[in-house]
Amino acid sequence: MNPLATRRVHMLVRVAFVWAALIAARLIQLQVVQHRQYAQLARDQQEKLEEIKAPRGAILDRYGQRLAMSLPSESVCLDPLRVPDFAVASDILAKVLNLDSRDLLAKLKSAAENRRGFLWVKRKISREEAKRLRDLNLEWIEFRTESQRYYPNRSLAAHVIGSVDFEEDGNGGVEQSLNDELQGHAGEVLVTEDVQKRGFASSMQRQAQPGQDIRLTIDSRIQFVAEQELAKMVAQHHAKSGSLVAMDPRTGDVLAMANVPTFDPNEPPKHGEMAARENLAVSAPFEPGSVYKVITLSAALETTRLRPESMINCGNGSINLFGRIIHDHSRYASLSMADVLARSSNIGAINIGLQVGDKNLYQYIRRFGFGKKTGLPLPGESGGMVRPLRVWDKSSIGSVAMGHEIGVTALQLAQACSVIASGGFLIKPRLRMDAPVATPVRVLRPDTAITMRGMMEGVVIKPYGTGHKYARLLGYTSAGKTGTGQIYDYKLRQYTHLYNASFMGFAPVTNPAIVIVVTINGTAGTAGYGGPTSAPVFREVAAAGLRFMDVPKDLPEMLSPEGSDQADDNDVAIADLGSSIPPPLVQAGDAVAADDRPVASANNALDQRVLLARNGSAQQDFAGPRVPDFQGKTVRGVIQQAAALGIPVEFTGSGVARAQAPGPGAILPSGSWVRVQFGR
Amino acid sequence: MATLATIMDRFTTANGASGDSSRTRVMENEDPFEVPQFPNEDVYLYIKHIDNSRVLREADPAARKVCWRLIGSSFAFAVLVIGLLLPSLNQLMAGYRMEALRQERQRLELDRASLELAETRLLSPARLEELARMQRFVDPAPEAVVYLDGNKSDQILAKK
Repeated sequence: MNPLATRRVHMLVRVAFVWAALIAARLIQLQVVQHRQYAQLARDQQEKLEEIKAPRGAILDRYGQRLAMSLPSESVCLDPLRVPDFAVASDILAKVLNLDSRDLLAKLKSAAENRRGFLWVKRKISREEAKRLRDLNLEWIEFRTESQRYYPNRSLAAHVIGSVDFEEDGNGGVEQSLNDELQGHAGEVLVTEDVQKRGFASSMQRQAQPGQDIRLTIDSRIQFVAEQELAKMVAQHHAKSGSLVAMDPRTGDVLAMANVPTFDPNEPPKHGEMAARENLAVSAPFEPGSVYKVITLSAALETTRLRPESMINCGNGSINLFGRIIHDHSRYASLSMADVLARSSNIGAINIGLQVGDKNLYQYIRRFGFGKKTGLPLPGESGGMVRPLRVWDKSSIGSVAMGHEIGVTALQLAQACSVIASGGFLIKPRLRMDAPVATPVRVLRPDTAITMRGMMEGVVIKPYGTGHKYARLLGYTSAGKTGTGQIYDYKLRQYTHLYNASFMGFAPVTNPAIVIVVTINGTAGTAGYGGPTSAPVFREVAAAGLRFMDVPKDLPEMLSPEGSDQADDNDVAIADLGSSIPPPLVQAGDAVAADDRPVASANNALDQRVLLARNGSAQQDFAGPRVPDFQGKTVRGVIQQAAALGIPVEFTGSGVARAQAPGPGAILPSGSWVRVQFGR
Repeated sequence: MATLATIMDRFTTANGASGDSSRTRVMENEDPFEVPQFPNEDVYLYIKHIDNSRVLREADPAARKVCWRLIGSSFAFAVLVIGLLLPSLNQLMAGYRMEALRQERQRLELDRASLELAETRLLSPARLEELARMQRFVDPAPEAVVYLDGNKSDQILAKK
């Protein structure tokens, strides 16, 4: 070969070698020396760490109806340092997202001046807004997926469910107390993308753990009726607030828990709305008044020889209790123990309480669950206010016996009423379906509970019972107790003429399926007593609840729901409380009583009518006698009364008369007879 | 003319600088109007025509074997390469499909949740109450509900 060519080849080889060496050196620099840096750059470009949202668990009612649920929602953010033109950007975003353009512009400028690389534009936007924004295809707009909590039934069971803040942390109700279970833990997946940002490989970095669904014992249908009826009655009586608790006494399931005023958890809290967000049924203790006589009489049946028919001295309407004069609403010389409850005699209850003794009464107060929290998973539950026995003074037993000097919540009252309804067992309330039913604790002997049921039924079925006109159900037996407690004004240091009107009851009597406690706070006047105010709410909610729960009727439906026309409208009254008595829960020995009572001798109206009919002095156009009201009477009593009037009677069942046809007051045609159904 | 060859000549010529000066001296003595030589003008090429039309190629069994071996090995190499690459390719395509399915699943879950929300709103007691009021429905009178044997809701009849 030509030497020159050879030299050229050699030169070419050398150059190629140098070139290769340079490339190799560069490769070593890139792939060895700066490997980590460039590998990181490549990963940043090709790989994306995506968050896998773990939705917050839903809250369901006992039948699986959703009360609260979460949906993914998109939020818009951007890097102000990447925005080409602030004015244009703010105009575009404001138009699509319905924001204030100037405000957004100011935020953008401020963020850019402070060299902030992140700015939320609008969080949790609608799907339509997100679509419109995506269609603009602007690279400097970023989307982040968040979660939005929805309460599709709005204010239904709002106090039980609670609400969440913007970061989806519970701030009330079950949302708060069960936040750890409801809250999910987001996962992460590493997605490798191609040049067109299409993912083609992914590896799970952290598994997502969705929040746990919580199934409550609430029945949304009963809850709805309860809220409707409670709100209606609070508005009708211009009351300040109201609470209702409905329970299944067999399991302790809380079927409904309603409060008025209420709120919509979809909306953020407004100024001055915090009071409406308070769950009064569990957090606001009040003096229960006469409904508490149920506890006193239960203790008396257990610890004394008193029976329902035992006569109780009612002191002609007043009593000197260790130097403190307490007046009753009506003058009764003496009443049977059953009538003390039916007529809600304060002096009678005090005398029964005195026979029970403060130690026994205190013991039963604690046994019924007062003075301690029920343990429901609800924030802010109050244990009520039960003063230790050592700080009671001599007259405290009189106050406590009729429901003063003690603070209870509506939930505690429902729990206590369930003791009677369940045959003497205290069953802790339950709000979660997956929580085990608490082991029942026997509080009363079975016979005591049955006796108390009968006495409470007397409140409803006896014509002079304080709940007779308002709490009777059509087709079901019911029992209960009214209560009207005067509200103490701590500023004025005296009792006001505003009342806590209450009713606690259950139905059906023989096999109770539902216990309901209604408390309406801040009623006034005679129409604001427990009977006319709270008992109708009980009636409506119990009727709906029993129908929803498919509870078989235990009465033939022959009575009008309004009861007999002999019922006394003015069946409640308030005792003379005075005006300058310190609060019973603050200062011992100065408790006062407020109560429900029937007007005296109202029960004689029926007999008078019957006599008038029999003597032919009234409505002589009718051939037959008027049918008397047999309800609440024994078989023997019905036979005697029917025989006296010459009315043929057909009997069904045993126990006390619960229904009859024709109804009381009807003219019995010649040749027909009265059918009376008895039940226990 | 600065071709690659002349550039290399400058590097390969031992006395490049002296060569240039001698060439300059020669150019000074030459006729300035004489056309300069083209590079490699001294190389003469000629074409020798060879007639191979009557030459027959002798069959070479070894060459055929080599040829087939080459084809076979190429094919085997190709199969090997494809065999090695195919799983990766499949994995890549499956990755695309999986990512697409993952996004589809997220979208469907969102749709399902939205539908559940809509369903719950439609079944809310307040709305049902409103509808019932509009349709002038009323709660059944207590005597209109008859419980047959048992206590199941599907056994409830409404009497007219």
